[in-house]
Amino acid sequence: MSLLKRIAVFLSIMGPGIITANIDNDASGITTYSVAGAHFGYALLWTLIPTTIALVVIQEMVARMGVVTGKGLSDLIRENYGVKSTFYMMTILFIANFGTTIANFAGWAASMEIIGFSRYIVIPVGALAVWFLVVKGSYRFVEKILLFACLLYFGYVFSGFMSKPAWSKVFYNTFIPEIKWETEYIMLSIAIIGTTITPWMQFYLQSSIAEKGIQKNEYKASKLDVFIGCSITDIVSFFIIVTCATTLFAQGIRINEASEAALALKPLAGKYAFLIFAICLANASILGTIIVPLATSYYICEAMGWERGVNKTFKEAPQFMSIYTFMIVIGSLLILIPGAPLVFLMVLSSVLNGVLLPFVLIYAISLVNNKKLMGDFVNPKSYNIISWSTVVVLIILTAVFLVSIIIPLESIYG
Amino acid sequence: MPFFGELFVSEIIKKPVLDPKGEELGKVKDIIVVKGEPFPKVSNLILDKKKNIYLISWTDLNIFNKKIISSKIYSESLNEYEFDENDLLIVRDIFDKQIVDANGAKVVRVNDVKLEGYESEAILVAVDVGMRGIMRRLGIERGGEDLMRIFRKHLPYNLISWNYIQPLEPKLTNISLTVPRQMVSELHPADIAEIISQVSHREGATFFKELDVETAAEALSELQPDVQVEIISGMETEKAADIIEEMQPDEAADVLSDLPVDKAKEILEQIEKEEAQDIQELLSHEEDTAGGIMTNVYISYLPETTVQEAIEKFKKDAEEVETVYYIYVIDENEKLVGVISLRDLLLAPFDAKLSDIMKRKIKTVTPETDEQEVAEIVSKYNLVAIPVIDSENYMLGIVTIDDIIDRILPPAAKRKRRKV
Repeated sequence: MSLLKRIAVFLSIMGPGIITANIDNDASGITTYSVAGAHFGYALLWTLIPTTIALVVIQEMVARMGVVTGKGLSDLIRENYGVKSTFYMMTILFIANFGTTIANFAGWAASMEIIGFSRYIVIPVGALAVWFLVVKGSYRFVEKILLFACLLYFGYVFSGFMSKPAWSKVFYNTFIPEIKWETEYIMLSIAIIGTTITPWMQFYLQSSIAEKGIQKNEYKASKLDVFIGCSITDIVSFFIIVTCATTLFAQGIRINEASEAALALKPLAGKYAFLIFAICLANASILGTIIVPLATSYYICEAMGWERGVNKTFKEAPQFMSIYTFMIVIGSLLILIPGAPLVFLMVLSSVLNGVLLPFVLIYAISLVNNKKLMGDFVNPKSYNIISWSTVVVLIILTAVFLVSIIIPLESIYG
Repeated sequence: MPFFGELFVSEIIKKPVLDPKGEELGKVKDIIVVKGEPFPKVSNLILDKKKNIYLISWTDLNIFNKKIISSKIYSESLNEYEFDENDLLIVRDIFDKQIVDANGAKVVRVNDVKLEGYESEAILVAVDVGMRGIMRRLGIERGGEDLMRIFRKHLPYNLISWNYIQPLEPKLTNISLTVPRQMVSELHPADIAEIISQVSHREGATFFKELDVETAAEALSELQPDVQVEIISGMETEKAADIIEEMQPDEAADVLSDLPVDKAKEILEQIEKEEAQDIQELLSHEEDTAGGIMTNVYISYLPETTVQEAIEKFKKDAEEVETVYYIYVIDENEKLVGVISLRDLLLAPFDAKLSDIMKRKIKTVTPETDEQEVAEIVSKYNLVAIPVIDSENYMLGIVTIDDIIDRILPPAAKRKRRKV
């Protein structure tokens, strides 16, 4: 195959991996990276390399399943593990993703508020726009918007360069791990991995690949798509950490929110850095509110065998429309009600995501090794060692993370 | 006769099977069914005990109901079982699989399977695709009923009789239909397209291969371009050519233009010369112009034709032509000189000549006209179709209103379902 032809094939396959990976950097992801940079400077940069490797290993398996079986992950779990596992898994996924939706609406409200718009205006407008886009818009139009939105993430790369970091120190910390035995340091490094590898994106990636109908002979191009997508995600994360480390950490400013990071940047890095951070956060958040509720309703209905589709009425697809509408309407209303337990819901969401991840990973890895489904595309032996160790490490880290959320480490050691 | 009444398979899975002394032989793991008339019947139960898998024959059972299952034999006479791909197992092969419910063109899942006593056999009568089935599998059917009673509603049974189920492949591993295959052709092509876009691409292709050429052609034009390409690329060229030939030339051209050039050429070579020429002509135009969406099949007669002759010819010609509401009047040099609506033709006296009754002022477009502009003209003058002519008034084809609507408002099945 000539080089030109190869490039043409890749361009037609490209998409699912890159879009999935980008949406992964949603409001909670950006918050984690900003906080990591502001609290520990460049010290946590090295975690991005193992995170990227783990992400590539997992996403590659899921993408391979999508290509070979032509089915989504929730279909495969239902068909191979029955109603019970599927039902509990989908229930947890629903609650976890509801929390994610709220986090994204909150990110949208916060980022627009620091630019100067009231949340009582932007939340209804945002929710309505999302609903309208999904229910009334054609797929092509939505895809164009998504791809454009993905481009906006490069704003973080610019702001990284604008902050003029000490590059030699940045590279040193990226490749040489530095371990600090501090609770917060360990928690944040696990949180970086946890926010990068989430259960719902495995479902999303596999479905969008199956949906695109990518064939086995095009799989190499799909693999490249996943690889590029994962790299882009972590390059974006890298620059968020670098920006916050160079500016906020150096000045001793501590933050807890991504929007605080944007505000704090204003006097330090100038109006443009502030605007880039605010707009990128708004973009990532609204992207999350487009994808997460819709994807969730699809996987649940597909797994349970319920009628689905955005162009259906309430009467035709009652479960689908109820789940979708519930997530958008209640999710956005909760942001507007003063005193709503937002923090509780978001913590609950990350706990449930943590609970769910081991199951999703174990199901995925045993499905990918199922000869009946995958034929010659099962994991090679050597690869299984890599993927099982990745899964085991992820499960241990998640368990530590869960325990530390439920019983804060301070109460044990100090 | 060990079996009376009816039960759902999920009610007996994991139930112990007892020997005549009341000792446990093992727990029910799965059920093997074999072909029977009129319904499949249970031939064996698969038991599992301490990781060993045993087989017990239906005839060796003594009592079989949802409360108790017992056998006439002891554990020494049980045979070990190895899973065989050729057996049809209820839990492994039927539970949780997708079914296309042609009643309403939707895809559902098998939540449970219903068995019924018939003579001395247990036969498989129906699959449960409803909420009740899910609740029963979760062990909360009672609770669900109670909950619904609070709202004064009844939890409905949602069963599909087994005689409607037609596996597309010998095993149920793939989708099955709830209508006999012959009846699929009677579904509306848009519904067929909807079904295909709801299942995975490979299953869609399997389903599509089962259709007859005529239905396939109509369903194909309702599908989204990338699905069209995939289905056609996966077919033998000959069959693909048959289907393309059956389609309207403009729709055929749309499909071919999305295919890889080599494949499109191969298919064109298999199509009858005249049709292929029509399609090739259409392929040469830009996609979003009048040339790209026009069809070159329309009704046209010479100016000196009488109304009577025209009506007689029309009866023959109209069968093959999609849009017949306008009769175009074209002179010997193939130049467009007038147009007559079908209504005017039918109301005119028999002996009048077409040139007498035709309208000479005609709204036309050129092949390069943008589709948006075509839509505006058609809408402004309330037309059903508009002729496409070149600079010398030579008639090339017509753009019909349904093609314009498709461009402005994609039909439901062409919208992507998930992924957004």
